[in-house]
Amino acid sequence: MLSRIKRNINVFSVISVIAALLIVIPMLNILLEVLSPPSAAWVHIRENLLNAYIRNTLLLIGFVAVFSALLGLFSAYVVSRFEFRGRNLLSWMLILPLAMPSYIAAYIYADMFSYTGTIARFMRSANIPLRVNMMNLSGAIFIFTMTLFPYVYMMSRSALSSQSASFSENARLLGANRFRVLSRVVLPLLRPALVAGTLLVVLETLNDYGVVAYYNVRVFSFAIFNAWFSLGDTTAAIRLSGVLMLIVFAIIFIERAIRGKRQYSMHVKGKPVEPKKLRGISAFIVPATLWLIMALAFFIPLAQLFYYASLTFSDVINANFIFLIINSLTLAITATAITVFVALMLANYNRGTKNRFKKGLLKVTNLGYAIPGAVIAIAVMLFVHGIDRTLYPVYRLFNPDTGRLVISSTLIMLTFAFVLRFMAIGYNSIEASYDKVGEKFTEASYSLRAGKLRTLLTVDVPMIKHGLISAAIIVFIDVIKELPLTLILRPTNYNTLASEVFRYAREEMLQESAVPALVLIGVATFAIYYLTHYNKKGVAANVREN
Amino acid sequence: MYVRIESIDFGYTKKQTVLKDISFSMVEGEIVAILGSSGSGKSTLLRLLSGLEIPARGKIEINEETLCSADTFVECEKRHVGMVFQDYALFPHMDVYKNIAFGIRKYPKAQKRQRVMEMLDLINMEEKIHAYPHELSGGQQQRIALARALAPSPDILLLDEPFSNLDADLKMRIRHELRTIMKKSGMTSIFVTHDYDDAKDIADRIVYLENGRIAYEENVRHQ
Repeated sequence: MLSRIKRNINVFSVISVIAALLIVIPMLNILLEVLSPPSAAWVHIRENLLNAYIRNTLLLIGFVAVFSALLGLFSAYVVSRFEFRGRNLLSWMLILPLAMPSYIAAYIYADMFSYTGTIARFMRSANIPLRVNMMNLSGAIFIFTMTLFPYVYMMSRSALSSQSASFSENARLLGANRFRVLSRVVLPLLRPALVAGTLLVVLETLNDYGVVAYYNVRVFSFAIFNAWFSLGDTTAAIRLSGVLMLIVFAIIFIERAIRGKRQYSMHVKGKPVEPKKLRGISAFIVPATLWLIMALAFFIPLAQLFYYASLTFSDVINANFIFLIINSLTLAITATAITVFVALMLANYNRGTKNRFKKGLLKVTNLGYAIPGAVIAIAVMLFVHGIDRTLYPVYRLFNPDTGRLVISSTLIMLTFAFVLRFMAIGYNSIEASYDKVGEKFTEASYSLRAGKLRTLLTVDVPMIKHGLISAAIIVFIDVIKELPLTLILRPTNYNTLASEVFRYAREEMLQESAVPALVLIGVATFAIYYLTHYNKKGVAANVREN
Repeated sequence: MYVRIESIDFGYTKKQTVLKDISFSMVEGEIVAILGSSGSGKSTLLRLLSGLEIPARGKIEINEETLCSADTFVECEKRHVGMVFQDYALFPHMDVYKNIAFGIRKYPKAQKRQRVMEMLDLINMEEKIHAYPHELSGGQQQRIALARALAPSPDILLLDEPFSNLDADLKMRIRHELRTIMKKSGMTSIFVTHDYDDAKDIADRIVYLENGRIAYEENVRHQ
């Protein structure tokens, strides 16, 4: 037993176990805190507000899930099954709304529909008596749908383009018309992709704070911030976090239970379905609909931002702005490097494993993405405060005048929270690359007496470098535009592009927020362009390497 | 003649010729094997018969109905052709019952169930009625695919490399079983293979395909 454990101790296992402990302890901490005696504020929330929070949250995620699924599925189906002008361009552009942080779209749309906004003025001048108020639940549903549907689009498009034509052909030979083929075969086979994409949309919606705070939609993340900052009640915030985590796990559990023992994929060799050329009126209407979606989700808010930037860039671009960019880049690069490094260690530790302990460890470390930012922020803060309290006597040995909170007042806390939240994203990309390459090259290296570290650096990393770059870029985009964690955990007076956009919008200085917002969108757009065009080469390179 | 194929030409592009001047006929209940190496066009011939591809020229008649000619093309879902794909293409999200019942949805419920049970009886797999495809072995999947194709009582059954997914041992055992099932159902059948032993053990007649043309025919059994 002891020798078996000893055999399994190596650089990958040690880092993986430490990472898992650092992730699981703050979460357990939250669960334990839920058991502490309720505060007066919690009693007030439970009796007067909790039902509304639950109702609003369920309404928000329910509608956003349905609309995103419909929009994502429609666009994925059209792009992968039909041939039309502009199809190649749209096939990657439909991912671009992900570059538009939801909170920025929310500020812009609220402004455009406000009394003095572009759209409201146009309506009045055209004598159209239509008044749209974005600052409510419906407005939030629209914003989340438009900025998050690409998750469903990406997953569904990938599944549709790899779906074998044999299934549809077989169904047709068994007498099914086109509608029945679609409803009974094509769509059910898409279910895992559709569910995975929609789940990402739901998790991102639950994670958001920027949109709901600005639109005053009283959902859980709003309530957690409110309990923490307005009521100053940590235990109430923790209890709300506990309820929110229960909702997240219930959603995941219900999906698994409904799926049962059914499977949605089988290895079938057939060719993928050939796209059909659109003819007649549909050759115009279908692409026009996709361009309209793109306009609403990306181009219209972008145009408005450019207009505002043209009015304010001379006031906004100064030394302070350069520091904002440096802060954001430093933070994003550091968090990305640590996340990808730990994800690489975890992926190595888990390669081809059937060991239950390792699988459990992996599930724990990948849990962060399912847990909303506000909850992670509280968990990390409690954890790091605990460490500071424990280490206080040590701090005093070095500096007798030291304050109690040392680590808590540094960027370590925020970086740690980013690593915890985005670990799953980095890991999944690396794992997919390892799956594609297989284990034979690594085993060949071991058989030639190369050690684990040498094999990693000289064999594995070069072979999965495309996956590593993808992982780094995706984590980088997520970190740089992240809001809730940044707002709660950044050190005092430490501002990033995202926090500055939020501050400007809060202070009704929307025009001034345009330049930092455009920098964020520009970085993310460039990264998406690079990934969508680079990934094709990556796939080709991997095929050649095999 | 029950099946009549006359002067079929086909290519995926205008310049390329996959099949050239293919003609042969079959009597009712006959089992014909199309034998050829890979790339000889044998699977394409099945796709033309099933209506999944449209020939550049030629005529196809089954059971006195013209399915394809210069001025006629019957869509695949209206052809009454059953097909077993190389990978079986069983719908992974449906259990065995739903897979077999897929092609007979217009039957009344009781009759549908009866027909599914008949098919399961034919392939001797009644106990697997509620299993999902991933819970079945390769040989069992093949039999379910066969039952699914036979359930709507098609005019003709087409099988595309039915043994390519099975290991050698299983293949030997199943060959005989497949011929028994096909003969018991009385179905006119065409199957394509690249293995002479498969063709010899199952078919009444073998049609040799080379470079998209029929090279010659051989009677294996006298009807």
